[in-house]
Amino acid sequence: MSETNNSTAKESRRGFFGSFSAWLAAAVGAVIGVGPVCVGLYTFIMEPLRKKQMPRKERDGGSSDPGFFRVASVDEIATDVPRRFTIVADKLDAWNFMKDQALGAVYLQKNEAGDISCYHTTCPHAGCSVAYEQDSNAYHCPCHNSSFNLDGSKLENGGSTNPSPRPLDTLEIKVDEATNTVFVKYEDYYTGRHDKVAK
Amino acid sequence: MFGKLYKWVDSRTGIQDSLEEALYENIPGGAKWRYVSGSMLVFAFMTQAITGIFLWMNYSAGSQNAWASVYYITYNMEGGALLRGIHHVMAQAMVVLLPIHILQVVIEKAYVKPREFNWWLGLVLMKITLALGLTGYLLPWDQKGYWATKVATELAALPPVVGGYIQKIVVGGNEYGHFTLTRFFALHAGVLPGLLVGFLVLHLAMFRKHGITAHSSKKRADQMFWPMQVLKDGVACALLFGLVVYVAIIHPAELGPPAEPTEPYGAARPEWYFLFLFQMLKYFDGSMGWNNEFVGAIVFPGVVFGFMFLMPFIARIKVGHAFNVLLIAALVGGAGYLTYEAHMEDNYNIYNEQDVDSAAYKKAAKYHAEVERANTEFRLIQELVEDYGIPLEGPLALQQRDPYTMGVRLFRRQCASCHAYNATGENAHLAIAGPEIDANAEGPMGAPDLYGFGSPDWIQGLLNGEEGGITSPKYFGNTSHAEGEMVAHVRDTMWAEAETDEDKAGLKETIEQVSWALAAEAKLPYLDYAGNQDKIESGINHLNDDTLGCVGCHNYKENEFGYVFTLDNYASSEWLTTMISNPNEVYSEDWGTANDRMPAFHSDATKLLTQDEIELLVRFLRQDRTLLGDTPESVEPLKAEAPAEEAETAEVTETTETPAPVESEEDTDETPVDTTQEAIEEESAEESEEEAEEEAEEEATEE
Ligand code: FES
Repeated sequence: MSETNNSTAKESRRGFFGSFSAWLAAAVGAVIGVGPVCVGLYTFIMEPLRKKQMPRKERDGGSSDPGFFRVASVDEIATDVPRRFTIVADKLDAWNFMKDQALGAVYLQKNEAGDISCYHTTCPHAGCSVAYEQDSNAYHCPCHNSSFNLDGSKLENGGSTNPSPRPLDTLEIKVDEATNTVFVKYEDYYTGRHDKVAK
Repeated sequence: MFGKLYKWVDSRTGIQDSLEEALYENIPGGAKWRYVSGSMLVFAFMTQAITGIFLWMNYSAGSQNAWASVYYITYNMEGGALLRGIHHVMAQAMVVLLPIHILQVVIEKAYVKPREFNWWLGLVLMKITLALGLTGYLLPWDQKGYWATKVATELAALPPVVGGYIQKIVVGGNEYGHFTLTRFFALHAGVLPGLLVGFLVLHLAMFRKHGITAHSSKKRADQMFWPMQVLKDGVACALLFGLVVYVAIIHPAELGPPAEPTEPYGAARPEWYFLFLFQMLKYFDGSMGWNNEFVGAIVFPGVVFGFMFLMPFIARIKVGHAFNVLLIAALVGGAGYLTYEAHMEDNYNIYNEQDVDSAAYKKAAKYHAEVERANTEFRLIQELVEDYGIPLEGPLALQQRDPYTMGVRLFRRQCASCHAYNATGENAHLAIAGPEIDANAEGPMGAPDLYGFGSPDWIQGLLNGEEGGITSPKYFGNTSHAEGEMVAHVRDTMWAEAETDEDKAGLKETIEQVSWALAAEAKLPYLDYAGNQDKIESGINHLNDDTLGCVGCHNYKENEFGYVFTLDNYASSEWLTTMISNPNEVYSEDWGTANDRMPAFHSDATKLLTQDEIELLVRFLRQDRTLLGDTPESVEPLKAEAPAEEAETAEVTETTETPAPVESEEDTDETPVDTTQEAIEEESAEESEEEAEEEAEEEATEE
């Protein structure tokens, strides 16, 4: 530093926020520092929360049952043995629109009386995918040992742990008698909670 | 409480000392507004880093996704346009601030001994900033960025021996593609900002080592950096930010149509702050032997930069400093002048409206036409994206199925040397200029203006024997038909016979009805047939009764004595397909002069257009924007005709419309059109008047 004029230097050092201009400088500095961050954060936070819209020509033209997906014909569902079916639907992923994508999977089964039940394949514990195993005739999760009976209830298999907070999630179904088709109201639920809450 | 906490933090971190160290820099002569340029540059860079990182969170480098993600940021994301706008405008602000900062440093002699290193660091920072601008321009992967950057990377190949390698390394191979984007993106968002931060730290450290260049003065006392200079810097930066936000809002960052390697963009220009380099290259045209492109793009800028590098040493000699000031002033002035030149050249047609015939005017007009074309293409792709979303294969896949985008391109390429497409009203953006018609010259041929071909308006013009009708360039241009039988009939028979105003009014009404009857043959999806049933029916009667003398030459329904082409299905999909594929199949053979010179675009002999391309053109001409591969819009002009026909159409609609949304997987590529189209193509050889006659007979019997 060259030619320091000592008196002013000392005066300025009487305290960091010793003058009005100091406070003002700090305020202006804060504003300009935060400005660009605010704009960026706004987009970062708002985008995932925003409700997305399907492309104009692909919006559902007045489907009477929004949320229901055609999954299988009644004949494809086996009695007392669950079978896995894929949910196929149009999908919007940010800028991409894709027709007929696999959204997820469900298990469908019939009982003797012909009643159909439907289970989500997502484990209610932490979201791994459960699978039906023929040997034990039960659903097993490959992650933390949660197991479920065919009716979806938690399997208490003596001694072994079962961390799932609730039974397997059932899904609402509808059968169209005319076409013999099963429709499933496919939705995702929060995992790890005692109650089944749709996302 | 707060004081205690602060003390606790300070005693462990020494924050107070660091802050004082950082902020208590003595400023000889006190804080001044003109010292703000450096801080503003730092602030501008900070803004770029912050907005850049947030853009990064949404950007996807790759040739299918880059444009799509930037489109998404700009048009779908809340606040995205502002975010991108700030990044875009602040980049330009940085480039404006740079020469100001440099001029200031030179004028205040802050570059001479002992601050040589700081000057050099500043030069490096300048280069990095410009490189950031260059790499960023490509990232949206739109036509403008793509073609402008292509020029820049072509220049990289100029240096002898290594040039080719340099170019390949920069581009990531021989072709522009994924690697070009991933490399440019890594440079733009990683390497260059990293280097910039590093050099900036050195630059600032060096600045602190030597202190501020100014000297204490008697008039004003010295001040510390804090708080007065910080306040001034802060206010300047706040003003800059406010201005940038304002500009970003009123002038949102542009996005052109997606980069299309097969569609060269004639208005590719680099960002305005590189325009002077772009312009300079025009003067290095090899006209003097030594002044070739290599010299202009590499050697000359290199020499200038070398001089700038040596400036601290030049300043040591007598009048050296004055020379330096002049050099920098000349550089800034020269760059400014070249930028101005470039601007004037591109806008010559706007500043010299009278000079229509000059080459400069034509060149500038062409530039503007290209810009206009890009705007149209963007508007079209925007409509497509909103209607259909962007497929995984990227925006180009969507464009290639769009009858409007491709129709305009193909028409310009294949048809516009003879035909015009003078679209008006809501379709004005699709207009395509035809050839310049000089009625007296052999010259380029003017064939019919095809906008609205087959519509009642178009046909009414054709059947109008007065001024602006059939004799106008809109119809037969200067083909042989301009003085053919059709013109003779309309002008010299139909209209010559109508003498009184009353006659003419009657004729006009008849023509209107006939035009609707003919338009019913075209089955154009944009016409209101239902609301004009009366006209269609009267028109059909007129044609059958031969009120206007049409069926003397043309066949129509049960009239089969004509010797030129039939009016059945005139301007329909099938008719247009045949006409474009091989016009000689439409015109009857024994009418030798019928086809003046329209080539066959898809026949056994020629394949100027593929079948898909013809299909796209046909849909474009019929203003049917159904994507290629989807069933085109079908209309039934005549309601409630024969009951048998009705039953048939009802069946058809049922089968095409029943699929529920979930079943859509089943109606994919295989559409009825494709098959019929193929059938037509295959049978087109045999298909001739016979079949048309057969059809006419069938229809007659049905009636
Ligand atoms: S996720 Fe299934 S057991 Fe944890």
